[in-house]
Amino acid sequence: MSDETPNEGMDRRRFLTVLGATGAGAMVVSGCSTERIEKLVPYLVQSEDQVPGIPTYYASTCTECSAGCGLHVKTREGRAIKLEGNPQHPVNAGKMCSQGESALQGLYNPGRLTGPKTRQPDGSFKDVTWDEAIAALAGKLSGAAGKVAVISGAGRGTFSDFLAEWTAAAGGRVVRYEPFAHEAMRAANLRTFGTNELPAHDFSAAKYIVSFGADFLENWLSPLENQRGFAKSHGYDNGNMAKHVAFAPRMSLTGMNADEWHPTKPGADTAIVLAMANVLLSERSGNPADSNALRGALGAFTPEKAQEASGVGAEVIRRVAREFASAKPSLAVAGGIGNQHRAAVDLCAAVNLLNYIAGNVGTTVNFGSDLDGGEGYGALEALGSDTDGGRVSLVLVHEANPIYSLPAKGGFAAKFKKVPFKVSTSLYLDETAALCDLLLPGLHALERWDDLRPRRGVIGLMQPVMQPVFNGMATGDVLLKTAQKAGGAFSRFNAPSWEAYLKTQWQTVARAQGATDTESFWRAALQRGGVYTEAPVTPVRLAANAGQIGSTPASFDGSEGGDSYWFAPYASVLGDGRFANRPWLLELSDPVTKITWHSWVEVHPELAKRLDVREGEILRLSSPHGNIEAPVYIYPGIHPDVVAVPLGLGHTAFGDFAKDRGVNALDLLDAKDGEGFLPYLATRVTLSKTGQYKKLAKTEGTTRQLGRGIADAMTLDQAKKGLTPALALEEQGHEEHEINTEREVEAIHGFRESQLEKRKHGAYVGDQPMWGMAIDLAKCTGCSACVTACYAENNIPYVGEDEVRRGREMTWIRIERFWEGGGDTGDPLETRVIPMLCQHCDAAPCEPVCPVYAAYHTPDGLNGQIYNRCVGTRYCSNNCPYKVRYFNWFAYAKKAFPEPLNLQLNPDVTVRARGVMEKCTMCVHRIRGAQNAARLEGRELREGDVNTACAQACPSDAIVFGNMKDPGSKVMALKTNHRGYHVFEEINVRPAITYLAKVLHRTEA
Amino acid sequence: MRKLAILAAGSVFLALGGAGLLQRSGGAQQGKPAPDSVTATAIAAGDTSDLYGPRQPIFFRHDIHAGQYKIQCQYCHYSVAVSNEPGIPSLQTCMGCHMVISGSDSGGKTEIKKLRQFWADKSDPAKPHLEWSRIHALARHVHFPHSRHIQALGPNACNTCHGDVARMPQVFKVNNVTNMGFCITCHTERKVNRDCTACHY
Repeated sequence: MSDETPNEGMDRRRFLTVLGATGAGAMVVSGCSTERIEKLVPYLVQSEDQVPGIPTYYASTCTECSAGCGLHVKTREGRAIKLEGNPQHPVNAGKMCSQGESALQGLYNPGRLTGPKTRQPDGSFKDVTWDEAIAALAGKLSGAAGKVAVISGAGRGTFSDFLAEWTAAAGGRVVRYEPFAHEAMRAANLRTFGTNELPAHDFSAAKYIVSFGADFLENWLSPLENQRGFAKSHGYDNGNMAKHVAFAPRMSLTGMNADEWHPTKPGADTAIVLAMANVLLSERSGNPADSNALRGALGAFTPEKAQEASGVGAEVIRRVAREFASAKPSLAVAGGIGNQHRAAVDLCAAVNLLNYIAGNVGTTVNFGSDLDGGEGYGALEALGSDTDGGRVSLVLVHEANPIYSLPAKGGFAAKFKKVPFKVSTSLYLDETAALCDLLLPGLHALERWDDLRPRRGVIGLMQPVMQPVFNGMATGDVLLKTAQKAGGAFSRFNAPSWEAYLKTQWQTVARAQGATDTESFWRAALQRGGVYTEAPVTPVRLAANAGQIGSTPASFDGSEGGDSYWFAPYASVLGDGRFANRPWLLELSDPVTKITWHSWVEVHPELAKRLDVREGEILRLSSPHGNIEAPVYIYPGIHPDVVAVPLGLGHTAFGDFAKDRGVNALDLLDAKDGEGFLPYLATRVTLSKTGQYKKLAKTEGTTRQLGRGIADAMTLDQAKKGLTPALALEEQGHEEHEINTEREVEAIHGFRESQLEKRKHGAYVGDQPMWGMAIDLAKCTGCSACVTACYAENNIPYVGEDEVRRGREMTWIRIERFWEGGGDTGDPLETRVIPMLCQHCDAAPCEPVCPVYAAYHTPDGLNGQIYNRCVGTRYCSNNCPYKVRYFNWFAYAKKAFPEPLNLQLNPDVTVRARGVMEKCTMCVHRIRGAQNAARLEGRELREGDVNTACAQACPSDAIVFGNMKDPGSKVMALKTNHRGYHVFEEINVRPAITYLAKVLHRTEA
Repeated sequence: MRKLAILAAGSVFLALGGAGLLQRSGGAQQGKPAPDSVTATAIAAGDTSDLYGPRQPIFFRHDIHAGQYKIQCQYCHYSVAVSNEPGIPSLQTCMGCHMVISGSDSGGKTEIKKLRQFWADKSDPAKPHLEWSRIHALARHVHFPHSRHIQALGPNACNTCHGDVARMPQVFKVNNVTNMGFCITCHTERKVNRDCTACHY
């Protein structure tokens, strides 16, 4: 039989072909023998820092967004197999996000360019040698003096400095283009405080957080750092927890984690901010003295006016303002992609005033860090007009993809095409590279020397952790070699290699840090992953024109009227589209909608009723600038007159995973400049039915808990009283399930006794650890970093869109998301998220039903799954109350890891074959590895020796793993917490995973 | 050089994953184990047809290295006591001695010449590289920590599983290590961990 998935089509002819081939194969190898000669290729020279079978870690820096988190790259036998956070790094402190984890799939992407190429007259690409490619670039360069332009990605560091110098020598200029560059915030900061730098935000100190459309948990400035801080302040701790209120047209991941989410009319949120500021000024004493000057300007903005503009009740605004005022310090945040309307500068400026009046500037909003965000759209637009006017004859694109990330309507592609010679250093054949004449594929950040300065005081270093996968060359080397070939103005670039250049530059860094021995400074920095110092906070004051307050609602393209709706494109898992070629992220269900692999349009239930559409029906969205078609997802977390589509899909190039998948929401936008930025939330669309239907590939089951008590929650008051989740429910008027009759209680008791009896026999005797986990739902945001970390660690294959549609995704750990309230209930909409993984039950229902003992209980308390025993009856999965066992239907791994993606596979974990059940192992390979290492050292395991991949990645520290027999362990401290409960406690399976109920910071009426 | 290094890495990965048996097919092959006393040097290098085990690209004589000269196993398989993997010695390890040792008989001389040729060609990716045929390979779902076994059984316990390699002119599989019964017998006798997830995960 074939291992292929059925969607490839199996007609009669193909069936016979496969049958024939199998028959022939059978003759050669006689039956199902696995015999084949395997070759062992010895190293030529054994590397001193590589011992076979033992991982080597290298410190590096993540380049997936401009936040610049620190990495520890785990390598085995010379290839990177896992990215882990660098615990010493000030930004991420050892934590990871899904996008960062997936950098490995960027490194090993099958769509990577294999070497330099030039375009031939017929339009196709031809492979050339690096010498030829560099000669070609040098040749063109000399003829293009003064007419050179460089579009580079955001990364700020030695390379960007070098690139600027290099380009200046060529007589051109660099645009450091980042689609999500927070330009509106910069402009607002300039207006309010006279500085256009991006401040650092301390979410951990804030006691009250108000966000105005800023999706700070996903893509706003420094998402991981934000989330760490947010978990610290908003996670319940001993009676204390911050409150988070979100005002936004759409409930993003951040909105989902708000205690209150208030849908606002798009573009009208400035009025709310100003009204809040007004309330603060007029009602609160102790405001900064100079803020009184704003009294006059703000006096006109009353909550009532804000209600009129935004649709949010005046009493809500007043209450939130008062709560905001009484919490010190508090934090208001705004901006970002989901809420970048034409009045975004006004909005951010208003938030600046609000923070200033509340005294947050200098405590939770700290200038001086100068966060990197790249340059934005304005600079690129200016470049576009240059290329249009023929003032550019050579353009070099480095780590940017403007052709995709700008709306097609703006015509940047046409302007770009007018440049006679276009060069790309992209690793992949993306939309921009596809238009270029010379492809000089660079090296991945894990293959090259580099550094990054994400903020003042932090310099992250990158080092090659392995040999390049393909024949790329670090762009630094390419530019140096080109400069040496071109001579003339370039002659000062005489460094023999990019590595040498970087090291020379680092001597300056070393001296600036007061080091005399630059070499040992460099080595120490390399080991640590960079240089981390604290940047002093720069005090800022209100600028002279800070009081110039604009509150005009943003304008929108497209007709106002009954049948038109606001269109809200937003960034989610795939960011600006740069992650769309990574199957882990394509298969990762969106934290909010739980949809994978394709595009969708979010429609409020009311609007769906009005339009008479159901889920999956394909709607056509038409704006004055274009049309897209996408299936409907009915989403209660959106303003009823707004429709939303995620960004990132609809690529026309960029490898097989990304190409022709979904739609590009940017097609509905104009590229008209706002105030130096691209307004995303700036269009109204009309909707029309296409009459077509597409079943969504989503992992969402029932959207409501239906009283099952899966993701429990209690109010802050109840938590303070120390109630258990069951008592809290009772207090809320829910009746406890009366399921245990006398007979059942007896049976349960008898079962427990028999279990304890079993512990007196065989391998189960003795003092062995008992592994368990505690998951704090007050901290879990549903960001899904654990899911991607698990994919990376455990060789989990992605199954593809069609198989997800059939419910066959293999997520060993998944985030379940449920709605509470909202809709017809009259209560505000709330979200519950809960990471669901194998509960490693003590009395596991899966174990007794396995006819071959493949599912069994290990002496150290794990629910083992032995693949080589499994015969695939799937009884265990049918008997699992948590539905956490996944059946490998079609040898997914064979298809999921096309070369060179297979190089990422973790050699410590079996790649599962077809026909076996698989599930969370609690990273048993890590446990066994740690046990072996401890025994070799002649000691027993200690707390902290072993951690699971999910717990290690979790940015909120919501997941804690440990030994339940160690009373001093972190996990036991949490398990004995009064908020602890087991999912489906009443079925008496005694899970090893304890959840801690979420705490709701509601305002009691 | 680069290509070779990648190949080496990839191949060790295969080795880690393990894949099937490596015995040469054809049970009819008549082999003779080496005699007790180490006089096996008389075997001509090319005359390996009646020896057990797969023929290797270089007729490397474990019986001479480990037997006659009593070189410790761990001199070459250096990571066996610290890692799950015993390690295949790099060519550099071989050349460490064979830079100066050229062999005493014509057979040995021929084989050492081959080794030196591989070493000389090491920077040329177009030239063939050394590929040993694997003899002991566990299935992919088995994880065998060599280090723990060396720790428990001592540094010279290799022969418990691998047979008396010091007397094998050409290494062959003595014990069917791919049969779980082989492992379990020992684990039962010694009353040590028999939990499935000790090896299967």
